[in-house]
Amino acid sequence: MTRDESKLLYAATHEWAAIEEEGGDRVATIGISGFAIEQLNDLVYMDLPEVGRSVAPGEEFGEVESVKAVSPMYSPVAGEVLEVHTELPDQLEKLNDDPFNFGWMIKVRLSSDEGIDQLLDHAAYQKQCAESQ
Amino acid sequence: MASIGRLIPLTAGDPIENMSIDQALLESTSHGKVPALRFYRWSRPTLSLGYFQKFADRDTHAESGGLDWVRRSTGGGAIVHHHELTYSLFLPADRSTGHHRDLYTQVHGEVAASLREFGVTAVPYRMLSRSLLASTPAPFLCFQRRTDEDLVVSGYKILGSAQRKVRGAVLQHGSLLLKSSSYAPQLPGIAELTATLPPIQQLSEKLANRLANRLELDWQEDGLRDQELESAAKIAVAKFGSTQWKRRR
Repeated sequence: MTRDESKLLYAATHEWAAIEEEGGDRVATIGISGFAIEQLNDLVYMDLPEVGRSVAPGEEFGEVESVKAVSPMYSPVAGEVLEVHTELPDQLEKLNDDPFNFGWMIKVRLSSDEGIDQLLDHAAYQKQCAESQ
Repeated sequence: MASIGRLIPLTAGDPIENMSIDQALLESTSHGKVPALRFYRWSRPTLSLGYFQKFADRDTHAESGGLDWVRRSTGGGAIVHHHELTYSLFLPADRSTGHHRDLYTQVHGEVAASLREFGVTAVPYRMLSRSLLASTPAPFLCFQRRTDEDLVVSGYKILGSAQRKVRGAVLQHGSLLLKSSSYAPQLPGIAELTATLPPIQQLSEKLANRLANRLELDWQEDGLRDQELESAAKIAVAKFGSTQWKRRR
């Protein structure tokens, strides 16, 4: 199923989250937006967390390097990392083409709603991106 | 009106100290929102690895094999810090909007202008016809790599910079290769390429003045604060001096 970017939630720090029911749990699939990837430009390395790690809203869950700049990626939600897209760091060139599907990074089983009310809908996120340029 | 920025005087530190002070200043810039500029040298020849580089890749460069080494928090390739001037610029996030490449362009432009005052002509790599460049056999060393904003003289890279972003601030530090090192003899410096060796103190002063104009800052000379020194000491133990950090890859 192709993810519709207009239905996702976004952090001000450019991570997206798709929150869905999975086997009785609420699970957030997380990546970074096409805008962020375009701004970062030419990603060469990525670090993702281990399965089982706990994350809190605003906490770093990984890092990327582009043009010698190392930037953190922040979790938009609270919970435990259920799954990690381990193939992604070796195929970063595909992120540009498909940030919302192939570009997913981690799945987090939510432990609470913490942080979700701070997330932006697509329209508000697009407005933020337009204002930052 | 220009805002106040902190100018940290030129010092020479050991590898862990240099990296830890940069990290402590990045954190204090993130909290205090006051830009800072620091110049430093290295008290002994040192190899620094880029954040994502593998420790095992050191084996590909025999000349630097015996050097003390440190892992940076910034990206890019390995650097032999010997006869160089290192700068670190710390900006709060609200002063570093735009693409991170813009900051490389701005700072490197002012380094090139400062060097011109000593008769040295350096240009960004993006302005060169790539076919004229000297060959770049192995990419382990930062100075054998090229990105658009690197400064080059006669096809050889003499300035490379890298960045680390945290919430609320960005650190950009860079190495200006003044003279070739016996630990990286394949890399000529400004002295070999131009028969000129700009005096470090004057060069750093000119660059600070130019960056003040460019960034609309009024530098005020300022030493490291007690809190920053304490923070740097903790960072040295927990991060740059720890085996876990150094051998994380």
